[in-house]
Amino acid sequence: MATTTATISVSSNILSYPISINKSMTMKRAGSCHGLEETSGLNSKKVESVTAFKLFGNAEATVGGASKVYVRNSGASTTDFFYVGYGEDLGAATIETIGRLYGGNWMLIPWDAVAATSHDIFAKSSTAEPMHIEYMAFIE
Amino acid sequence: MATTTASLAISSSDLQPGNRLSINASSLLMKTGLTEGLEILDAGTGELTVAMSTKKLNDALGTADTSNWMYLANHATDDTNYIEVGLHDTIIGRLYAGDWMFTPWNMSDAAAEWSIEAEGGTQKYEYAFFKSTYVLANSAQANNSDGTPDVNP
Repeated sequence: MATTTATISVSSNILSYPISINKSMTMKRAGSCHGLEETSGLNSKKVESVTAFKLFGNAEATVGGASKVYVRNSGASTTDFFYVGYGEDLGAATIETIGRLYGGNWMLIPWDAVAATSHDIFAKSSTAEPMHIEYMAFIE
Repeated sequence: MATTTASLAISSSDLQPGNRLSINASSLLMKTGLTEGLEILDAGTGELTVAMSTKKLNDALGTADTSNWMYLANHATDDTNYIEVGLHDTIIGRLYAGDWMFTPWNMSDAAAEWSIEAEGGTQKYEYAFFKSTYVLANSAQANNSDGTPDVNP
């Protein structure tokens, strides 16, 4: 059984008193005390196109599992970004778009790989200039 | 300007045999355009029961296509319990006991709301939304001197 831990720390002075979030989790299989044992491995990709590309296909993981997905814009741009979401039609007013990752931004979300292409996860660059993205799935 | 920093550490010594995993990332969370820090925070805790069915966690009441962030944690301790998390009508995933998630939120349009539903048992959760913009919903209460509801322009 593999043991994988993820820890988040968020600090903010948005309010007049400090905000601090600190939480760790051990990535476990659905309904189990045993850890996730499979991974896509850590991938790194240079992108020079505004065409959406697939990060993870739904067939890679189990429907109803406790899979998780990590994505980071490993560049430093403060103006360009990656859209991340479901399907190829990512964009500003596309409901399946989850959000934007600017340079340095990261995300870690659960992924219920519903057995349909609607649950393939894609990314799309906002520019044809070179951008770098890294991504990894922790799979059940 | 407010400063919000989000850091992540992922580690495993045995997920990839012979290749110790160590990911460390940190970033400043900025408004769209990245010249100003986020200045709106909506945070709290709650408890979900199975009988509640699907509940709205947060409306997309800000400006569409902007930089916003969501943190959500499931504080349950029973490994079989989970919270199903949805964005609009798309199931994102299952947040099992002890799990957390952190994601950007595009607020693509007014329907891009976050929803949660408890499965397996009553579960406590914690959330925080860091937003670029926010629009207060109109109130139905009469708050003008003549007794008529105020209407936002």
